[in-house]
Amino acid sequence: MTQWKKSDIEKALDCAMTRRRFMQWLAAAGAAASLPCGLLRPRKVSATGIVYEGGYETFRNACPRNCYDTCGMVTYVKDGIAQFVEGAPESTFTNGGLCVKGHSYIRRLYSPDRIKYPMAQQGRGTGNWKRISWDEAMTRIAEKLIEIDEKDGSMLGLALTKYSGNFGITNYGVEGMFSSLGYTTRMVGTPCWPAGIDAQNYDMGNMWCNDPEDMVNARYIILWGVNPAWCSVHTMKYIYEAKQRGAKVLCIDPVFTQTAAKADEYWQVNTSEDGALALGMARHILDKGLVDRDWIDKNAVGFEDFAGYLRKSVSVAWAAEKSGVPAEQIARTAEEFASHKPATIWIGYGLQRHVNGGATVRALDALVAMTGNVGKVGGGARYGHLQTWGFNYHAMIQQPPEGAKGYLGSAAKGEFDFTKKEGGPSYSNRTLNINKTARELLEASDPPVRVLWVSCKNPLSQDFDRNKLVEAFGKMEMVVVVDQFFNQTVELADIVLPATTLFEEWTVDVSYWHYWISINEQSVKPLHEAKSNIEIAAALSRKMNQLKPGSCTFPTQVDTEEWVAKEFNKGIYDLFGLNSWEDLKTGMRKARMGQAAWADGKFGTPSGKYEFKSDLCAEHGFNELPLYVESRKPYDKLRVLTPHTKFSIHSQFVNLDWMEDFNPQPFVYINPITAQSRNIADGDMVTVKNKSGEVTVAAKLTDNVPGDTIMMYEAWFRNNTYNCQNLVDDTSADMGAYKAGAPGVAIHDQFADVTKA
Amino acid sequence: MGKQLAFYVDSDKCMGCFTCAMACKNQYHQEKGVVWRKIYPLAEAIYPHQERAWYSLACNHCENPTCLEVCPVKAYFKRDEDGIVVHEQEKCIGCGNCIRSCPYGAPQYNPSLKKAEKCSFCWQRIDAGLAPACVLSCPVDAIQMVDLDQFDATGLVQYAPGFPKFPALNPSVRFRLPKQPVVVRREDT
Repeated sequence: MTQWKKSDIEKALDCAMTRRRFMQWLAAAGAAASLPCGLLRPRKVSATGIVYEGGYETFRNACPRNCYDTCGMVTYVKDGIAQFVEGAPESTFTNGGLCVKGHSYIRRLYSPDRIKYPMAQQGRGTGNWKRISWDEAMTRIAEKLIEIDEKDGSMLGLALTKYSGNFGITNYGVEGMFSSLGYTTRMVGTPCWPAGIDAQNYDMGNMWCNDPEDMVNARYIILWGVNPAWCSVHTMKYIYEAKQRGAKVLCIDPVFTQTAAKADEYWQVNTSEDGALALGMARHILDKGLVDRDWIDKNAVGFEDFAGYLRKSVSVAWAAEKSGVPAEQIARTAEEFASHKPATIWIGYGLQRHVNGGATVRALDALVAMTGNVGKVGGGARYGHLQTWGFNYHAMIQQPPEGAKGYLGSAAKGEFDFTKKEGGPSYSNRTLNINKTARELLEASDPPVRVLWVSCKNPLSQDFDRNKLVEAFGKMEMVVVVDQFFNQTVELADIVLPATTLFEEWTVDVSYWHYWISINEQSVKPLHEAKSNIEIAAALSRKMNQLKPGSCTFPTQVDTEEWVAKEFNKGIYDLFGLNSWEDLKTGMRKARMGQAAWADGKFGTPSGKYEFKSDLCAEHGFNELPLYVESRKPYDKLRVLTPHTKFSIHSQFVNLDWMEDFNPQPFVYINPITAQSRNIADGDMVTVKNKSGEVTVAAKLTDNVPGDTIMMYEAWFRNNTYNCQNLVDDTSADMGAYKAGAPGVAIHDQFADVTKA
Repeated sequence: MGKQLAFYVDSDKCMGCFTCAMACKNQYHQEKGVVWRKIYPLAEAIYPHQERAWYSLACNHCENPTCLEVCPVKAYFKRDEDGIVVHEQEKCIGCGNCIRSCPYGAPQYNPSLKKAEKCSFCWQRIDAGLAPACVLSCPVDAIQMVDLDQFDATGLVQYAPGFPKFPALNPSVRFRLPKQPVVVRREDT
């Protein structure tokens, strides 16, 4: 790897004018003749950009975003400049390709919009940013932390909000930095998937699913509330292959998604009535004698109670009425599903972002289990897994300084927190619900939250009750944000610190879906003054110890490559067949985890069996059986869905100018009938408004959404104030506290009305 | 007929994910607004669900390319070995004849250079034994490179609905058309 030069970057990237002017200058100066002719030979065909030239250095990278596919990448570098990327060829999952987002990474690395230096804002939201040195930034922060520690007698006034912006394992060093400062305040939980995680834990004792590549073996596939054509593009080829081999593919979703268009059959289910639909199918399977009694006798408990409930309280007609799917389809499909083994359901995350989300996932699990499809090749209730995440969390596990005081009582833990606490003092961190960040920040007292640190997260684009969140940020004495772009959260910061991109740091990445692991090498030297999260932690530790010796235990020097090595252990080596972590420099490896999740029938539940009836679930305040639970009552005229677009992962990627070529502006999608009754035409600017806030945006009319629903995609546009979170309140989902530390959030249980702007 | 490379556009597999279009930008770093590979949603008259079926299109590397015919400075040539239509940008004077003449909209105007440019079929990659960037990137093999001289096009069409029909040009592209699922909608909406 060689050091980059500014001129090389300009040459490599769309700076045609710069290069042309340079050449004109050379000609005018008479200098051209004295230069080796190679330098001035015109680039063939494409003078504006680059072309494939061969002779590249290659490096291994991995996309660390919160995505099923977590693609391994190969980065092609010349003269210290990353030129282009491809998917890792040896991974049968990615097979040489990335997605629209992954292929935009080079632009992200070299974007002129990047945050280049530490900067301080003179007045939050003013945009009056001033460049400061790293030393000044660390001094300001460290002085503030020492001040609050002395004022409060603890570091509990320092809060961290961080989630999935970068899942590279060494980025858990942010949590490590916090631990190394003392006992602090942490936002725990996840807006993503916790209700379903808990549901699967009650039913099976863990969240674990078959390899997605095994989906080719399925004879019947239900894609239930999941849109892989956009959100897991590399899984689609396995679904196509299963179809090719004769499987039937049914897609169930409130929206006619791109995945629906690729299925054999699509059902437009009434949002958040998926549980009723599954239970109706279960009842029909029971009535038809298609239950897999052998499997249940060997592997499950509580089925008779569940069957009793179905007979007493569920009918196909009732399920049809609740779900909107005709009884005839429910009955026919239930029979097909039960009689085509192996059959599988891929359970999406959207359907559990509801007040009844966990209950819904339990009902879907039950449907798979009662037909004997759990633990089977080509079968399974697929939701996700964390089986390959058994790293050391070396960066994360740091000790508090001697004498640090904290919160008395136990703290909640997130689903990615694999640390075990052994002995030690009885103090702990103060944990606040990440899904109620706004109100938790406002209400925390004794001490109040004084300093907020944001990393790997864009709360102002992602978090709920947004108007209140703005208020909460206003209450902070200091806000520090670590990021790459001046997004809506950075707008409300006092100090912003430039974070490295995946090309500029070492880390290691695994997926919560496929079974592969990828190393992430430093392919180019960090641009500008960017630092990785653990380098920032080391810099802060240096300053803390300089100003107040002993106030921070984080190592003051880190080598990000060495820190990657420290994350590996024998368990990971054995799982992936590695002799050394450095084996990964030659390519990705796949975990050896047997034929199918739960194939041995040894479940992680208290009974060791699949639990249709879960005492643990009852202990936690829910129904012991997967009973129907009512959905949230509408509080406005239309339901608002705010799912992902194919052009982004949450608030990332849409801001890049390369992406703007394909996705220049946001829309609200409205059914033509709904639009007509409001005198809204295609392309009109409209205002979507509810009790939480409002959004003004252009309308696109489409019957892909039902008449009672409007849809807007989550995104952050760099030149547009659009933000769908203005309309989302912080109502909790049912489950999630057991494994993720806080309940999920009912993102898709939101309502609003729309009028012409 | 000799070797003629062509794009096989499998619209039944295509998910309109724009991966191929961005893979092209990743390889060539075109200026903002200059897009060689475009992903066209099919009109509802052709496919009834809006933005759910697509054609991924770039230069069709025609047998008889209009761009080559109309270029006053011979900036275009057709490779003998594989039929790729190459635009030599250093010769281009930016007159726009090719841009106005191509019925498929393949040549694009680069406002900074004041010249045309278009899909090269990644001939530099092909010469290095590699797949074109778009073809390599597609997660479902919905865009493939084929040799029309060898390719069995049974069941495929050259002029898919909505794709301009210019037999005299003989565009090197073949389509498989998208199928529709059985759709069960709620009765109450």
